[in-house]
Amino acid sequence: MALKSWLRVPSGSPFSIANLPFGVISTKEQPTGRVAIAIGDFALDLFAFTAAGGFSKSKELQPYSSVFAQPALNGLAAFNIQYQTRQYIQSVLAEDTPHPELLKDNEELQKLVFTHLSQVQCHLPFHIGDYTDFYAGLNHAFNVGVLFRGASNALQPNYTHLPVGYHGRASTVVVSGTPIRRPRGQILTDPTAEPKLPIFSPCKKLDIELELACFVSKPNEMGSPIDIKDAEEHVFGYVLMNDWSARDIQAWEYVPLGPFNSKNFGTTISPWVVLPEALEPFRTSGLQRSDSGQLLPYLTEPRKDNAYDIKLEVELRPSGTDKGKVISRSNSKYLLYSFPQMLTHHTVTGCAMNTGDLLGSGTISGTEADSVGSLLEMTKNGKEPFTIDGVQRAFLEDGDEVILRGTAGQGEDCVGFGDCAGVILPALEN
Amino acid sequence: MAPLRSWFPIPPASHFSLANIPFGIISTTANPKPRLGVPIGDHVLDLALFTANNGFARQSTIQPHQHVFSELTLNSFAALGRPVHSVVRKYIQDVFLENTSYPEILKDNAALQKEALVPLKEVTNHLPLEIGDYTDFFVGRNHAYNCGILFRGPENPIAPNYDHLPVGYHGRASSVVVSGTPIRRPFGQIEAEKNNPIQSPCLRLDFEMEMGAFVCKANKMGEPILIDEAEDAIFGLVMMNDWSARDIQFWESTPLGPFNSKNFGTSVSPWVVLIDALEPFAAKGLPNAQQTLPYMQQKNEKNQYDIKLKVDLTSQSGQTATVCKVSATELLFSFPQMVAHHTIGGCPMRVGDLLGSGTISGNEPGSCGCFLESTQGGKVGITLSGGEKRMFLEDGDTVTFSGVCGTEDGGLVGFGECSGTILPALKL
Repeated sequence: MALKSWLRVPSGSPFSIANLPFGVISTKEQPTGRVAIAIGDFALDLFAFTAAGGFSKSKELQPYSSVFAQPALNGLAAFNIQYQTRQYIQSVLAEDTPHPELLKDNEELQKLVFTHLSQVQCHLPFHIGDYTDFYAGLNHAFNVGVLFRGASNALQPNYTHLPVGYHGRASTVVVSGTPIRRPRGQILTDPTAEPKLPIFSPCKKLDIELELACFVSKPNEMGSPIDIKDAEEHVFGYVLMNDWSARDIQAWEYVPLGPFNSKNFGTTISPWVVLPEALEPFRTSGLQRSDSGQLLPYLTEPRKDNAYDIKLEVELRPSGTDKGKVISRSNSKYLLYSFPQMLTHHTVTGCAMNTGDLLGSGTISGTEADSVGSLLEMTKNGKEPFTIDGVQRAFLEDGDEVILRGTAGQGEDCVGFGDCAGVILPALEN
Repeated sequence: MAPLRSWFPIPPASHFSLANIPFGIISTTANPKPRLGVPIGDHVLDLALFTANNGFARQSTIQPHQHVFSELTLNSFAALGRPVHSVVRKYIQDVFLENTSYPEILKDNAALQKEALVPLKEVTNHLPLEIGDYTDFFVGRNHAYNCGILFRGPENPIAPNYDHLPVGYHGRASSVVVSGTPIRRPFGQIEAEKNNPIQSPCLRLDFEMEMGAFVCKANKMGEPILIDEAEDAIFGLVMMNDWSARDIQFWESTPLGPFNSKNFGTSVSPWVVLIDALEPFAAKGLPNAQQTLPYMQQKNEKNQYDIKLKVDLTSQSGQTATVCKVSATELLFSFPQMVAHHTIGGCPMRVGDLLGSGTISGNEPGSCGCFLESTQGGKVGITLSGGEKRMFLEDGDTVTFSGVCGTEDGGLVGFGECSGTILPALKL
């Protein structure tokens, strides 16, 4: 495609003109949150742009421009104008823009609307009514199943028939950069001992989960399922997600109702929401089901290329060191189910989705040891620690920083997410 | 306990005696905008109108915050904290007392009475709070035991963790609706034969008799609500029906818990009964064979409430049956303990969050809080008043919960109704 901007965008920047993700920012000068788009090394403040008449060349968008003043993307999404807004901004930023007077030739306005990303505070992009986490990373589910049940019983019989999921805690979703405090809770010091008597302790097996997540744009009424052929219309866009997990707390609590305190102490997302239009060039097919048995009709998608080829990486910077190291390289195509399938399954009972709801894919792992999305898998539940620059790690230590990254494409057509990062704070002491 | 007599006609058997004073959100045909209301006998006091007419003139604590009574939800009122709720409740009680300290406010104000006291029948109820997150627990031990026999097998019905922590799972906030909202039979995957699912309407639709608690205190992420503060985090209680699709549940729930089997609908009764009104009925809950870890230890042994709960079924043709009678003391952990456990890892609570106790079942016949238990997994049906049989819910069935504490002498404290009628499944 090779669309170029008149603004200088470094080659390989995740925020090329082919991307243009939405986020919510504030600055020291103006501490109230408002809507922005990331381009190259800058945030384009859409509120300031609107106030200066930036949308004057769009009859469609002018009536809605008050949404850019809001400290969340929900208003924008509720009017479903994200696609047109992105198209319009793309045309304003294009080298051969039909409207150079709006910004390209307006240095004064450029100073008002562009802020360097290093000077910008990013906020949670949506007000989130409900958050659901799925488990669609087949390799991850298999690896974890092997660890706890053995290879022959690794996957449950339901796994290839429905995207297994559980409701998460909306209040714990935070934006990249928010520190994550090591949780305390009930753990078994020796899971094999009888009788099983838990102690109260800081978590000793603090883990990450590399995931992709999507935000809902169009809602559905309670009692009215979303049909698979319409499901894509309900997707606003994508972010990276780290579903921090406390594995020892999880092992003790999760029978029979699933993970709870082991997840609800923190969930981090990247701040810039990438629209499906930006990911279109990177469609590919996801993991295939190998066993017999067809997918039920309500989940059968019209297209086979229902995944995205996004290179994902996990960087760990151990406490006390300056530089992190990439410990895993994965890809978002390692999913058995797509987001449209997750949305359709989630609403087949009539469950109501609202604008701003968040759906996580589940941990995304490849098949190799250096392509897994969790330390649980990487270290085989702590049995095989690894070393970074002389420092040994099995699970996370206090002061460690984890950064998730994702990029599709390359050079001037790179479409990426920005960092999804968090530092571990020590557990509270009574 | 000395009965509280009112100058206002309150039927002696009313669940909304002066001993109660619960809060809800109402609207009327005359004024369709939702606002706060308090049921008194067979009427509702419209708090927005009451406030606008200087009803709180003699109550100084609430005066700077009076705007909360004309809001669309109870959240701002709840955020003021239990000491304020307590003072407001006592004031409203006093305003209605026969020997009220403030006769000019309402007793001697016929015009305001006419405007602000609306017959209960003429009022529409709305969801009382805006819910950020909803969590369902599982602390009805008899229920856990009975279901465990069906799901886990008779040798091992209770998992090793059960007595050590209040087992819970995050629920779907968007599924919570107010009593009276119809509930559509969900569609989903059920096993036609072992490991071979089909897509079908749910064939085993169930109810679950639970108590719900609304939170009125927020904590910062990373900072737990400690057990000694957790009592003040509970605004009040409602009844809750955690409608469940048992066949969908059985197929989907391993290993991550119930999901679609729950998220199609959850009903709550409309009037939030403050903890203050329930204190006279405090009682001990189920005994725990295990020592509770210190972070959940409550000083007060009487940490449950003796609320007499009842579940009635009415079929489309009008046949009825009382399918459950149970006390809310049949619980292993209290709501403050659930709050302390839920936040111990740093999980943030927000004002308006909802917690469910889990299905409440007794040990006697007729005290099972769901059909799964009372029909022994769909084996032994019940018979309705006109001879119709039931194993699980049919289309057109209405399930109604009622709950009440105390005696007529002392003034009944009740929860209103939590009801829902089953609509047929949509064709996919």
